Amino acid sequence: MAKSETMKKNKKKSKKAGVKKVSMKQKSAPKDNPFETIWSRRKFDVIGKKRKGEERRIGQARTRAIDKRKKTLLVEYEQSGKASVFVDNRIGEQNATLGEFDKAILRSQRERQMKIKKTSKYNLSDEEEDDLDIYDGLRDDYDDEVEHGSDEDAGQDSSSILRHGRKSVDANIAEEENRLKSKKEVMEEIIQKSKFFKEQKAREKEENEKLVEQLDKDFESLVHSNALSSLTQPNKMNALKALVNPNFSKELKGKEVMSVSKVSKQDEPDTYEKLVSEMAFEMRARPSDRTKTAEEIAEEEKERLERLEQERQDRMRATDDASEEDDDSESDGKPFANKHSHVSGDDLGDSFTVDDKSLNKKGWVDEILERNDTEDTEDEDEDSRNSDDSEESEDDEGGTEDEKDNGKAETLKDWELSDDEVIGTDLLDEEDKSDEEGGEEDNKTHSEMEDKKNERLANPVRKVKKKTALLDLGMAQRSSLKQELPFKINAPGTMEELHALFQDHSNEDIIEAIRRIRICNAIPLAAENRKKMQVFYGLLLQYFATIPNKVPLNFQLLNLLVKPLMEMSSEIPFFSAICARERIQRTRTKFSGDIKDPGNSCWPSMKTLLLLRLWSMIFPCSDFRHVVMTPASLLMCEYLMRCPVLSVRDAAIGSFLCSIVLLVTKNSKKFCPEALTFLKDLLLAATVKDPRCPKDSQMRTQDHKPLLWIGESIEDIKPLDFLKIMNLPKDSSFFNSHDFRASVLVSVVETLRGFVNIYGELKAFPEIFSPIKALMIEVADQKNMPNPLQEKIRDVVELIKKKADEYDEHRQPLEMRKQKPVPIKLLNPKFEENFIKGRDYDPDRIRAENRKMKKLLRKEARGAVSELRKDNHFLQAVKEKEKQRVDEERAETYGKARAFLQEQEHNFKSGQLGKGRKRRR
Amino acid sequence: MPRPFAVKAGKKRKKREENYDKEEEVEMVNEDIPAVDEVDEDDMPGIPITVSDKKSSSGAVFILERASLEVAKVGKAYQILNSEDHANFLKKHNKNPAEYRPDIVHQALLMILDSPLNKAGRIRSVYVKTEKGVLFEVKPHVRIPRTYKRFAGIMLQLLQKLSISAAGKRDKLFRVIKNPVTQYLPLNSRKIGFSFSSEKLVNIQKYVDDVKEEENFVFVVGAMAHGKVDDEYVEDYISISGYPMSAAWCIARICEGLQRKWSIN
Repeated sequence: MAKSETMKKNKKKSKKAGVKKVSMKQKSAPKDNPFETIWSRRKFDVIGKKRKGEERRIGQARTRAIDKRKKTLLVEYEQSGKASVFVDNRIGEQNATLGEFDKAILRSQRERQMKIKKTSKYNLSDEEEDDLDIYDGLRDDYDDEVEHGSDEDAGQDSSSILRHGRKSVDANIAEEENRLKSKKEVMEEIIQKSKFFKEQKAREKEENEKLVEQLDKDFESLVHSNALSSLTQPNKMNALKALVNPNFSKELKGKEVMSVSKVSKQDEPDTYEKLVSEMAFEMRARPSDRTKTAEEIAEEEKERLERLEQERQDRMRATDDASEEDDDSESDGKPFANKHSHVSGDDLGDSFTVDDKSLNKKGWVDEILERNDTEDTEDEDEDSRNSDDSEESEDDEGGTEDEKDNGKAETLKDWELSDDEVIGTDLLDEEDKSDEEGGEEDNKTHSEMEDKKNERLANPVRKVKKKTALLDLGMAQRSSLKQELPFKINAPGTMEELHALFQDHSNEDIIEAIRRIRICNAIPLAAENRKKMQVFYGLLLQYFATIPNKVPLNFQLLNLLVKPLMEMSSEIPFFSAICARERIQRTRTKFSGDIKDPGNSCWPSMKTLLLLRLWSMIFPCSDFRHVVMTPASLLMCEYLMRCPVLSVRDAAIGSFLCSIVLLVTKNSKKFCPEALTFLKDLLLAATVKDPRCPKDSQMRTQDHKPLLWIGESIEDIKPLDFLKIMNLPKDSSFFNSHDFRASVLVSVVETLRGFVNIYGELKAFPEIFSPIKALMIEVADQKNMPNPLQEKIRDVVELIKKKADEYDEHRQPLEMRKQKPVPIKLLNPKFEENFIKGRDYDPDRIRAENRKMKKLLRKEARGAVSELRKDNHFLQAVKEKEKQRVDEERAETYGKARAFLQEQEHNFKSGQLGKGRKRRR
Repeated sequence: MPRPFAVKAGKKRKKREENYDKEEEVEMVNEDIPAVDEVDEDDMPGIPITVSDKKSSSGAVFILERASLEVAKVGKAYQILNSEDHANFLKKHNKNPAEYRPDIVHQALLMILDSPLNKAGRIRSVYVKTEKGVLFEVKPHVRIPRTYKRFAGIMLQLLQKLSISAAGKRDKLFRVIKNPVTQYLPLNSRKIGFSFSSEKLVNIQKYVDDVKEEENFVFVVGAMAHGKVDDEYVEDYISISGYPMSAAWCIARICEGLQRKWSIN
């Protein structure tokens, strides 16, 4: 067994040796490791990328690392098991760059030096030294011993010199520091300093100049911009300009400058200073008269009235001097004779009223016309007054004219229209002028002559109005003849006082009186005036309410009262609202008492109707919720809902109420079903229908009577006159006439048209109006329907149809569970605009830094670990090799010993054949 | 020889993969929960439960082959190569500029992800394979940037960073995945390739309608300027128009057909 093993080993050895031999033969120089020639492969070929980082041969790197380990780690390993260390301190051995020859030179040099040293002078030279001299071959170069010595000396010398030199330099520096500065240096320093200061000064001066220049420029621009011109006088302006522009000054001053030309240079700043001082003394701009506050205006007004009153009193007493003085004070430069003649004219009252009247703001044409009527002298007076109080002129005007003019000025069209309605009491559309006039003509029966004229004024045609204004003035004059009003009137405290005040006065005078009371007791003037005015307002409202009860209805006065009432209620809004609410409440309680009696007609009286109308004008109707208008409209609706329609008269009143409701809801477009139901019922009453199937009317089916049914053919329809209706007794035969029915129907249709227009925007419009439409068609189809009425009905039907169709077009059928499909939620990707690989895009700097450090640490740790691993591998390999070597060695000795023993054995067994020689030995 | 580090590293990688799977599972669960709720809502007393085929609805997968998305170092910065900006650069490197058309991919992705089909959630996912062989997945709930510049920015980052997450979320919207693409496709799917050169000219509407209800669609569309798609896994190459069509138009037709089929408006 053992034999075979050794044989194998030998074989192997021989084989190895063989391979080695072959390889030795093949390459003379040691060939590169083929693995070292392989370059690292790149995974992705990126166009344009330089191959800098990737040109690496992994195999080569590996061998390099192994070599390095051999030098370091292996040495350490080999020494690790040893107690002592051989340290090679031979000269030049540490320096790897030196060659063997250089090392030898260095060593020999050192040896020589040692020899030459004085201490070793007496040392006997070793014989061995000479023997041991290795550098026999080199001796030629270093033969001369003397030379060496001299060399040495020279070297020492130079070094000493160097040392000396350095010392001397150091000493020099120290000296320089210690020594005082020389005179020259000091002088130089001083010169430099002075130069520096000079330069600084010059620079400052330059800057100053620049600033002055800048200032001049600014000033010039200011002058040219005319901003200063408004503040200074023009002649100063010239001077200023002259200042700014020297050329200009030359032109302007010319001779002056010539005369003082010698001192002109000094003069120039003088002119400027002069100008400045002048400007300082000049008048500053002052504020103009400020706008007056309301209180001040009221004060002035009151003062004026007081003055007028004083005048009147004076004139009453006929003290000429005072009047003259007054005249003078009022109108300067007027011929005295004129005044005198005017004052001593035939009638005092005449002059006053004309005075008041003439305060109107009239065109010059009117003035000329007026001059024909009145005295010329007065007109001049008026003119002068016209100028100073234009505001009053409006108030001073006669009531009707005032209203009309104001209507235009304040664009209170609603007011005008509503006014017309109250005047005319026709429930027809406001636009029908002819109807309106007709209504007014009816009024004539109760009104006086002047009323008639005023009524005509209500006609909106301007020209007519202007002409009538003249006539009206005459009338007013005449009326004011009767009674004279004092200028200063205290507010009446009780009803009696009020009646006493207003008795026997014409309408205009009453209004004038009210105006004067209001001026005298204007609220801003005194605190207690508010109370007075409140009381007065209450009285006036009561007065307003009492007028309709009088048998000859003074409708003109009612109309005139509306304006002061409105104005006053805006002054004392709370009180007026309280008054109105109180009245509404009272009316409501009375109404709820009345309604209990079924036989009684509980429709509102004339008074209530007029008050409702008044409130609808005073208070804003468009508010969603209002302290007065909400209850008022509720009350109206209640009337419409609950009052039974027993007669045609009731129907007329109801339709009038409906028209008021229409006015109230016009702006706010509130839906008022009561009015619509009522109108529908009225339409139903115009048809002859079976009472069995009253499917349309829900509320008043039981009292369905053909009240408005027109049995006869009618030629023409007269417009409804509301005042007349109210004045007529309830059981008048007029109410049963078919004419009246037709006119009620017309008003109903017109009101309906208004509602259609208002509610056109409601979503439920078709549903609200379609039953009404059907009813209307039915009414229109009746036999005896007059043609104009039929046309009107058809018009309204057409209107309803048009609007309803519009809605029908836009309506969409309901969809069940209508919803859009829900799309999936999309997410935005997060990315950088300019992405650079390897950069941390974390917005948190500290975190990014931390991460970077961690990364670095991990990298280092990994590197260290791999390095250690490789070291281990290397050591392992070395140990392996060692072990292998030892094993081999042992095997060899074992083999040898074994071979020897075998041989002995063999010899012994074979009987020492042929081996005598050995034995012998 | 023991190599503890290597073993550890391997474990780590495995862990990561598992993690990813978990995430996906979590997503799936999240999607499922509202569905369950819906069922509960429908489950009102007195109202019979209707059989809904919501869950079993099939979807579509789009694969854009041969997309020319290539990163190069132009000057100092890395950029996605396109024929417009880098014509000279490409010529310098002996490349044909006409072949570098990343805008086609952009258009195609916009067409796919903006379609009502996607809005209705019927697109399962979109895979893009570049000319260089990099395969990446685009989640259907990505909002692709509308402008090319921003799209190029995303693609650049994707190809270098290998994944792009959602803004403000950890959800990964794009990620580079291992080839081949077939391992990601649903099991019962019909893989349809589109090629102008194909002999089989069909009406896409009819073709799509003929496919069984539960079967999924995989559409393979080429996103290159020239050449044709040729992949083994495609079962059926069809052409849907007599004219050569752009990728975007082709996708538009497909989406239209599927919307009709699944009645998505």
